Amino acid sequence: MPRSLWSGSLSFGLVNVPVRLVSGARDLDLHFRQLREKDLTPIEVQRWCTKEEQQVPYEEIARLFEFDDGDTVVVTDDELESLEPERTRTIEIDAFVDLGDVDPIHFDHPYLLIPAGDDDGTLRAYRLLLDVMGTTDRAALGRFVMRTKEYRAIVRARDGALSLTTMLMHDEVRATKGIDSGTKGKAPKKQLDTALGLIEAMTVEWDPASYEDEYRARLLAVVDQKRKGKTITVPDQVDEPSPVPDLMAALRESLDAARGVSKQNDDELGGLTREELYERAQERDLPGRSSMSKKELIEALS
Amino acid sequence: MAPRSIWNGTISLGTIAVPIKVHSATESKSVRFKQVHEPDGSRIEHKRVAHDGEEVPYDDIVKGYEVSEGEYVVLEKEEVDAAAGERSRLLDIEEFVDATEIDPVVFDRTYYLGSRDADDAYRLLHDALDRTGRAGIARWVFHNREYLVAIRSIGPVLAMHTMRFHDELVDPQELDIPSPQRKPTEREIKMAGTLIDTLHTDFDPEMLTDSYRDHVLDYLDKKRKGKAPKPKPAKPPEASDDLLAALEASLKNS
Repeated sequence: MPRSLWSGSLSFGLVNVPVRLVSGARDLDLHFRQLREKDLTPIEVQRWCTKEEQQVPYEEIARLFEFDDGDTVVVTDDELESLEPERTRTIEIDAFVDLGDVDPIHFDHPYLLIPAGDDDGTLRAYRLLLDVMGTTDRAALGRFVMRTKEYRAIVRARDGALSLTTMLMHDEVRATKGIDSGTKGKAPKKQLDTALGLIEAMTVEWDPASYEDEYRARLLAVVDQKRKGKTITVPDQVDEPSPVPDLMAALRESLDAARGVSKQNDDELGGLTREELYERAQERDLPGRSSMSKKELIEALS
Repeated sequence: MAPRSIWNGTISLGTIAVPIKVHSATESKSVRFKQVHEPDGSRIEHKRVAHDGEEVPYDDIVKGYEVSEGEYVVLEKEEVDAAAGERSRLLDIEEFVDATEIDPVVFDRTYYLGSRDADDAYRLLHDALDRTGRAGIARWVFHNREYLVAIRSIGPVLAMHTMRFHDELVDPQELDIPSPQRKPTEREIKMAGTLIDTLHTDFDPEMLTDSYRDHVLDYLDKKRKGKAPKPKPAKPPEASDDLLAALEASLKNS
């Protein structure tokens, strides 16, 4: 079982569901350790008190706040958590909203909620929320305190579990004012139409599993080469392309190239039997595929 | 004032180049503290110490990747940079997708893209994305890692979301959430649905406010004046024993 980061109750009206919060993301980055150069042994970062010249255990760490006038005050995490005692133990749902109305700019960290314990009442209440939210695209908006910070969160049903995502507060998203957005006015219609055609020709269905982190693999390859004593050469950077003098000509050229690629795909499909085409349609779960002719399948697949 | 740009590069789409600068679109407003030693309130400093207790100055530290227990391969900064590849100043748009098809759970951080030098190309890409609701998918190498990014329009500017790779998200199926012995009844499902409808409201970003932040600042001010209230212990609410009764009562209250 994954480690709980928070536990308490998900509260919806007068229904309380005991839950545990676990991380919904995992860190797959390659991590480097700090080493002492002379003997390549790992370095440990220790907390030391500047006054007493001694190491400080984690339990003796407190927080210092500095006022604008330089005045300071020290508080502990326990004190901070006691300011909103209910919220440190309850995720209180205060509204339901349409998920599509929430701009993704607000989405911060993903977590998953799992029922705390296997009491049947808890499991039933959890299942009820999951079933009911699973049938709509509505998401619950909640509020809770974790490790001395308050979070707004979206709770919703996703792949058989309640997912919780913390949200950035309204004032944590900067205004777009001051960002250089190019020339005033709109793009000329002819250019825009061609650009729309280009986007259309390059549009695919979103499939997150089709993208792998290639950097991770390249970095591992560098580590491997170095281990074998090979010299690592930094590749020359490809020059950044210069802005084109004739935007319309570049658009047409790009559109032709993009259409050429999709034409090739069509030709490829033409060489397949109906059965092979049907299998591909099945993989993509195309509706009405069983009654389609070979020609219709090619059209649906391309 | 626009925030400082943190990266310069070029979006490439076919043969079209759009030079851009990247600005952070978000900022944390959490109350900031410094770490101190509780008994005497003195500041904490971080020391880098080797296993034999020797404090190691920063200049004598190298970065190593552990390839097997206790065996490290040391990489210089330039060698780490080699992994960035030759196209690290480019955001090549590989394809476009319908922005609403992307589950928001994959989004990590958001940046605004400002125009550099080629305003016409910037405007064209912005307007085309704005019109179609599509997002351009590209890869971005920043601070020694690669991000999958979605470039779309937000208001008058281009914006870029970094996204988590599919294997960086925990699949809820892995959690093996147990099923209840008795499933929720039709009546309970219907009542819960009604309760959701009653609590439904149009989303407004202003709903994302932090009241706790003010409480913290208020408490700090009181404590400074020596008037801090005594901490209250937290008590979790009781689990609902009778689901149907709790639903009925909730509906009555709403």
